[in-house]
Amino acid sequence: MAEASSPGAPPAGASRGFGRLTIEVRRSVSPQLRIGALAGAIAIGLTISAIALVLAGVPASDLAQEFIVATLFDPTNLKAVFVQAAPLVLVGLSAAMAFRVRFWNLGIEGQMIFGGVGATAVSLAHAGPDSTRLVAMFVAAMLAGAAWAAIPAALKLLMNVNEIISTLLLNYVASDILLHLLYGVWKDQDGFPHSLKYSASELIPDILPGANGGLVIAAAAAALLVVVTARSRAGVYMRFVSASPSVAEALGVPVRPLVFSTVLLSGALAAVAGFVVASSQEGRLTQSFYQGYGVSGVLIGFLARNNPFAAAIVGVLMATLVIAGQNLQVFYGIPQSMVQLIQAVIVMCVAASDFLTVHRLHWAR
Amino acid sequence: MLQFLVTWLATTPSLAVPYALGAVGLILSERAGVLNLTAEGLMLIGAVSAAGAVLSFHAPPLLGMAVGMAAAAFVSLLFAALVITFRANQVIAGLVTVFFCQGLSSLLGAQFGWTSKAFSGLGPVPFGPLATIPVLGPIVFGQDLVAYLVVPILFVVSVVLGRTRAGLNLRAVGENPEAADAAGVSVPITRFLAVIAGSALIGLAGAYISVASVKIWIDDMTAGRGWIAVALVIFARWNPWRALFGAVLFGAIQAIIPKLAAAGVMLPQYLVLTTPYLATLAVMIWVSIARRHAPGDEPGALGRPYVREERV
Repeated sequence: MAEASSPGAPPAGASRGFGRLTIEVRRSVSPQLRIGALAGAIAIGLTISAIALVLAGVPASDLAQEFIVATLFDPTNLKAVFVQAAPLVLVGLSAAMAFRVRFWNLGIEGQMIFGGVGATAVSLAHAGPDSTRLVAMFVAAMLAGAAWAAIPAALKLLMNVNEIISTLLLNYVASDILLHLLYGVWKDQDGFPHSLKYSASELIPDILPGANGGLVIAAAAAALLVVVTARSRAGVYMRFVSASPSVAEALGVPVRPLVFSTVLLSGALAAVAGFVVASSQEGRLTQSFYQGYGVSGVLIGFLARNNPFAAAIVGVLMATLVIAGQNLQVFYGIPQSMVQLIQAVIVMCVAASDFLTVHRLHWAR
Repeated sequence: MLQFLVTWLATTPSLAVPYALGAVGLILSERAGVLNLTAEGLMLIGAVSAAGAVLSFHAPPLLGMAVGMAAAAFVSLLFAALVITFRANQVIAGLVTVFFCQGLSSLLGAQFGWTSKAFSGLGPVPFGPLATIPVLGPIVFGQDLVAYLVVPILFVVSVVLGRTRAGLNLRAVGENPEAADAAGVSVPITRFLAVIAGSALIGLAGAYISVASVKIWIDDMTAGRGWIAVALVIFARWNPWRALFGAVLFGAIQAIIPKLAAAGVMLPQYLVLTTPYLATLAVMIWVSIARRHAPGDEPGALGRPYVREERV
């Protein structure tokens, strides 16, 4: 049956003789379908990744062992997962919050840098007594990150400058400022381009054996944002803005103040991630402590559908993947870039799976 | 002083070429309505595969660069399928493509041992005695073939865009896909072709960096040039010739920094390195203030997936 020439019919993906595939936009999407599509996409992504790893030389029988048992049931590795999870959850939250008000914050790395710079400035100035030093560093980090995020937010709200480009460009400016400090006034006495080591009172301590305080900060931030988004007036306003800024404006939502303050919040969250990496992993400000977190944050926010609770879970899963990747590197010589590829493949599968939740496919003869 | 100007102007073209080619590649895709953030990643694919072709297969440099173009065009199919076929969010799809390409290029370089191996690469076109003419020689006759080809390539792109049926279709799909569809132009096919052709040019930009400028492959060697190309598209308001102007401006700023340092001018070098980014930001602000009431140059359907079933 050749129907392709019939006028007026929607011939999307028409195929002669085998009936026809038609595509409709769904009016509503059931949660079951949404979860099913997400699970299917992740399963496909993981299958592709597993095949790639087997091709790269990891025995198929060892994959589950390496990924699950060796990573999550080994105390050292589990601790590493938690240390890695804290900044990933924070950057995921940062992205999720900004996306909720339709602001594409691709400047997470720049805001992390300023978080690290703010915290290090407090450390180098020995500001306040030792007992409150960590709190002072935390606050300084948030202020610095929020201030850096205020630039693209103001440019967008006042002058309509595209934030995708401005936040990306400001990342490079921030990294040059970081290098200017580390190769200049903040250079360590040992001559290397990193800051002086933080003193013991400036390092985020382990709260429990195996659980670093950074993870507690990340969990607290996630819990707070769950409450804010689900229960507060600001959370309701964000939902309006996310659906349609013009309708929100007409309904009396203070759109501009809301967007501006949410972007500052996003910058502060990213900055806390920078503080956590500097203080719990590196113990000082280094040249590259922030690298790779920007895109990871955006991808975590996307996978979590801008939901703070989901962002916390996805952040931990991403951390598991990173640590598993480090083990694969040690035992099988798999380059770390393989982990990046796996993350990218999973996100691509999820992005493509949205098609199935938004559209209904129809096979008509 | 003259010597300073001559060396500065002679090194500017090779720094401007990747910006110009990358921005024009992005313009092709964006004029068809596909918001394209993939340049940083596709440049890396172009760079690694061109270097690989030269190192492993002893390809002549120009052939290696053609391999880089083809590889970037091939990888861009992933992005194109995501945004055109699966109608994924174009920002997310662009970012994840960059992430994918960074991983893939680093993996390829490591697996095949191409990383950090210098090779002879593409040299200047041998103009013989012309190259020794004072002042003009190094500037006009000291460049490589691809640098001379940039203007013809831009000419072809702008003629195709502005004066041919294919270019009209491409622009129609980017401005008003519903009308283009009603007129019988296939929106998905046109967009696919625009993304692929643009990505080949972006791949050439990357291949130029590894084979002609630096003559080595190192992980993430594009170092943000792709993002500058993305910004240049806005700077140029989607016009290839303005993109060339912006590329030369950026190349000149980048070229002058080491020259000033070598001439003994004491500058905070890392802060000077921020000038291209700040200049782009300044231009974006200027464009949005000065052209606030002017008609927009942005393609009407930029960033919007085309959903035919919603047609009434």
